[in-house]
Amino acid sequence: MKIKSFNLLNVGVGGQGVIRAIQILSHAALLEGHKVRTAETHGMAQRGGSVASYLRFGSLVEGPLIPRGMADLVMSFEASEAVRNFNYAGPETYFFINNHLIIPPMIHQLGMEYPNIEQIHAFLSDVSPNIFFIDANNIAIEAGNLRTMNVVMLGVISGSGKLPIKVENLQEAIKLFVPKKAIEVNKVAFKFGLEKGRSLRREIYEYT
Amino acid sequence: MSIPDFAEDQNGKKVILLGNEAIARGILEAGVIIGAGYPGTPSSEILSTLAEMNKYYPHLKLEWSINEKVGFETAYGASMCDVRAVACMKHVGVNVASDAFMTACYAGARGGMVLVSADDPNCYSSQNEQDNRYFGLHALVPVFEPSTPQEAKNMMKYAFDFSERFQSLVLFRTTTRLNHGRGEVELGDILKIDRDYSFDWDRSRWVCLPSHSRVLRVRLLERLEEISDFADEFPFNSLAKSRERVNGTRYGFVAAGVPYSHLMDALEYFNIKNQVSILKLGLVYPPPKKLIKQFFETVDEIMVIEELEPFIENILKQIAFEEGLSKELKIHGKDYFPENGEFPSELYLENIAKFTGKNYKIPKVPDNMLIIPPRLPILCPGCSHRASFYAIKQVEKKLKTKFINSSDIGCYTLAVYKPLEGLDAQICMGGSIGLANGFAKIQPKENPVLAIIGDSTFFHSGIPALINAVYNQNDMLVVILDNHSTSMTGFQDNPGTGLKITKEPGTRVIIEDLVRGCGVQSENLWVEDSNDLKNLIVKLEEAVKAKGVRVFISRHTCSLVELNEMRAKKITPPKVSIDPEKCIGCMICTNKFGCPALYFDEEERKASIDPSSCRGCEVCIDVCPQEAIIREKN
Repeated sequence: MKIKSFNLLNVGVGGQGVIRAIQILSHAALLEGHKVRTAETHGMAQRGGSVASYLRFGSLVEGPLIPRGMADLVMSFEASEAVRNFNYAGPETYFFINNHLIIPPMIHQLGMEYPNIEQIHAFLSDVSPNIFFIDANNIAIEAGNLRTMNVVMLGVISGSGKLPIKVENLQEAIKLFVPKKAIEVNKVAFKFGLEKGRSLRREIYEYT
Repeated sequence: MSIPDFAEDQNGKKVILLGNEAIARGILEAGVIIGAGYPGTPSSEILSTLAEMNKYYPHLKLEWSINEKVGFETAYGASMCDVRAVACMKHVGVNVASDAFMTACYAGARGGMVLVSADDPNCYSSQNEQDNRYFGLHALVPVFEPSTPQEAKNMMKYAFDFSERFQSLVLFRTTTRLNHGRGEVELGDILKIDRDYSFDWDRSRWVCLPSHSRVLRVRLLERLEEISDFADEFPFNSLAKSRERVNGTRYGFVAAGVPYSHLMDALEYFNIKNQVSILKLGLVYPPPKKLIKQFFETVDEIMVIEELEPFIENILKQIAFEEGLSKELKIHGKDYFPENGEFPSELYLENIAKFTGKNYKIPKVPDNMLIIPPRLPILCPGCSHRASFYAIKQVEKKLKTKFINSSDIGCYTLAVYKPLEGLDAQICMGGSIGLANGFAKIQPKENPVLAIIGDSTFFHSGIPALINAVYNQNDMLVVILDNHSTSMTGFQDNPGTGLKITKEPGTRVIIEDLVRGCGVQSENLWVEDSNDLKNLIVKLEEAVKAKGVRVFISRHTCSLVELNEMRAKKITPPKVSIDPEKCIGCMICTNKFGCPALYFDEEERKASIDPSSCRGCEVCIDVCPQEAIIREKN
């Protein structure tokens, strides 16, 4: 498919598999023949901190960072991180959010309160009408391993029809970049995610 | 495991590479043999990728050196023998290497010699955001700066030909977004260099004493002149001239590195790419003077876009002054863009719009903004450093005093945050013991002086400072947090693990032997298990109370490394849980110890353990005064 530029933001918490997801997506985008750029969080920020990775692909893409308001798709592995990065989104942006919250332990010590899923939903609904929460942790556990949550989410965005990359290319890239002994469980995770995404697609279709 | 993309010997194949992988690929393609350096974000993956390549290309000779200076010297020694060599480090590592670098530039390169400096605008993983382009200016060494992974690969390969052609060192400067960003890269052929490697016995060149250096300095200046003349032909510089105007003005833009890519995106956004002139620099020093003069002739107003210092801007202003253009030609840069941090891509849009009279507004933050408390990086679940800092706090409490905790660079720096707040001063690698020498001279009695340093950091630059303390009788307690790993930068090995960069066995260096060798008396040396908390507190108190220079080695393998070792051996880590009958909700475990596997259930008013993140280190068992934390029976 010919695309000028597609901007995907993947956010989460260090250790959730954001870098792996971006590696898979960037390889799949290459298989489609696109120019690809990413920017990722490595090193110190990974130690349980917030992580944000940017993926841009298409014929007109040069730099790795996405300007505010211009993300086409936000894939959030943790619900509050979607809010932290909301300013990359605009009214056209599609949000696919794992409805799981990871409360930073420092909250107790700072005596601060953490928002709940309802507050997060309400806030993001003012940013864009296209907000989708997915029970990705449980889908991953059902698939056989919580650590496949990132691949479940890849299945979801693929099934939703909002990621302009062919399913086959994504599956091919997953095979290349997950550990060999985990290929089978990731296949299942992707399939479950894909089904979930396809049910959302019907929702999106009816809505628009 | 099949051969990784970056190691394939397939000229023309297109693959996705991380910037650092692309740099490593360029090094491989250039026929380099020696790679040395010290890990540091965002540079670490260059040498670790080369180590992966080593499995398929046994001619590579690589090492994690003890520090950046030795890494640079290792590579430079090889260059003296006509071998192509590279030294890789983060920006602050160049400070450590600079003693060697500032004189090696005089003698220059024999075999191609490149120093990679990975700079970190925005201090993503660093203590400062110094702009190392100035090291090129300072040492009269050319500075290369690539914009994309593909260009990084090509430019690195070219750098070695360049270095040999001009007998000059090359400073290869990158920034975090290049090092840690992926892009498509077309692989090139891997050069096989057939040379009779031997030392060059020219003392007048390699022995830099005053009588030689005066002559070498003249040669260095001539070399820079030759490179300066060549700069106009440098293949990674380019000038796109336009005769058109935007709103009546002939605009020109100048950029290098990652900002060049974002500049191009912004010009595309406003659809003015062909209506402005663009000077792209791959060689940021010395400047291509003819190209710059041609550029000046085609424009009325110039915007230089560069992160950190106005390095290129000042060079352009100097040339404009020499050309007598300083009045008529307007050169902008730091009047639009800040001198700190990384530029978000919307800042390019905003400033270019302002500059050229286009419309763009950065989207506003809504009034009903939902505040998300910060999620800072923290010590991992089961991290042995947490136990060490907790023990330090307990001893402070018991002795009713506050130690001056002079600390260092590593994962344990994260203990500065709540709840441990275990660091009072920290500036650089090895600085913990260095600063403690000063603290010890001022007030060792009221506030006991502790220097807290990691194993790799101690090897890197802690040893001279420890000898200084012993020699000058600057009494302090040095706590060496030995977790057998250089964890923060990606679990690299070091002399304490005894494994080389390739994971082959090297010779292990025992820290306690070193400490004794530095002159610390045996009765002033403790070696304890960090995770045996009760014992750790007792022994630490003993060490605090003792006199003289004392060293306390708190030792336990990094919890992530340990977990991987357990998985490999198919050992299940112990399970720990909380007895809700015994838990009184005092929150000592969650609020004073603060392991992320522990959380507090507000409704039940009880602490709990998240089994998916608990590593089974069992330290929290000793933290709970109610004995409510228990080891589960298997």
